[in-house]
Amino acid sequence: MSLYIGIPILMIAAALQSVWVEDLHILGGRPDLVLLLVVTWAIIRGANDGVLWGFVGGMCCDLLSGGVFGLWTLSLTVVGFLAGQSWVHALGPTVMRLALMSALGTLIGHGLLLLMMGLLGYQAAPAITLPTVALPAALLNLILSPFSFTLLVWVHRRIQPPTGALA
Amino acid sequence: MKRDTGPLLPWVLLVISILFLGLSGSGLLAPLESIFGFAITPLENTFAGWFDTLGTLTQTSRDVRALQQEVNDLQAANDLLVQENIRLREYAAENEQLRTQLNFAQSNPTYQLIGADVLERGCETLLCGDIVGQDTNPYLRYIIINVGTRHGVATGMPVVTGGAVLVGRVARVSVNLAYVQLINDPDSRIAAMLQQSRISGLVVGSVEGNMIMTEILPDETVNLGETIVTSAVGGLLPRGLILGQIDEVTYQESQLFQEANIRPAIDFRRLETVLVITDFPQPNLDELKNEE
Repeated sequence: MSLYIGIPILMIAAALQSVWVEDLHILGGRPDLVLLLVVTWAIIRGANDGVLWGFVGGMCCDLLSGGVFGLWTLSLTVVGFLAGQSWVHALGPTVMRLALMSALGTLIGHGLLLLMMGLLGYQAAPAITLPTVALPAALLNLILSPFSFTLLVWVHRRIQPPTGALA
Repeated sequence: MKRDTGPLLPWVLLVISILFLGLSGSGLLAPLESIFGFAITPLENTFAGWFDTLGTLTQTSRDVRALQQEVNDLQAANDLLVQENIRLREYAAENEQLRTQLNFAQSNPTYQLIGADVLERGCETLLCGDIVGQDTNPYLRYIIINVGTRHGVATGMPVVTGGAVLVGRVARVSVNLAYVQLINDPDSRIAAMLQQSRISGLVVGSVEGNMIMTEILPDETVNLGETIVTSAVGGLLPRGLILGQIDEVTYQESQLFQEANIRPAIDFRRLETVLVITDFPQPNLDELKNEE
């Protein structure tokens, strides 16, 4: 059920990322809309939905990338899986763990991306790109996480009646 | 809240993701990419159109627009003149080389000589494409243009702007979109030469988005401001496409070659329309293989 609404949301986010967000330079970097949505959805709905959104969101990003197809798919699938795990609950109240996981998930996602690019022979240079690209992206995703949470909680309540667990 | 209902799904999707990576280069994913591409391409084009319109709407006064248009026209005219000038200088340099060869032939009348170009310029077939987006992977410097295999675009084709400035090469292509690896991408490698002094080297991109000319022999004198053009060595690109100008030269005794920082001929962030060179005279590499 979540995919019916998830596919258009993720496609729009990926298209916005390519057309608009990649031109932005805030705090020296740019946010990752799709990654942020995947992390937020995983925290709201759990690992299975997180993995599904990560997989679909990753494919959307890969379709708008000249790199090897699957780089984003694998990264976001793993991030969705990790963000939906039960240990994330130990990070505190929902807002706190959302903010922490948005930043941590972004760093993990970018780290995986760089690792796989390195393995596939790309000139990734993580020592340069992690502080200049991944860190600003993590910070911006942390700042934007309340907005994505508000949006996706609204979506969550539309597709499934609230159980009170999120309140 | 729903949690961990099916332990198998994550692993299945992880395995599929890894399979994507493995199969990406084989072409087996092309049908899948085409199907999803048909859905996402109109979305990308629509958003590109909206943001383009939005950018135009921000110009509040008509006078500002008129002035902007005039500046653009003058800039375009200036670009054309600069490019024409560079082309003429290219012909002058070529003429100089041919004269030298002619002198050599005249001073050695007993030699049997046959003239040959490394790669002839001209007879290029061009295809126009609008830039609809940038790569979603922040570690790659690619742009996405709205022409694909259905328009005749193929991997490896050179992409230029303004007729003579090289933007990059088509790295991946889908039915309606082409992904162009910019010349400042860290994995970009282009055989190049200096237009006036004919010194050859290799232009490479960097993770910071700069361009560097490497493999310049230590005894060569590189002049600041000299124009760098493609040399066509390897036959993958036409000769004489502009890459930029020499900004700074560095050489350390311990290094084998000199290096030069390049000032790009274009601002990659302001690209709007590009031309794909779909056909240009290339050496017959099959013949070389057969001779081996």
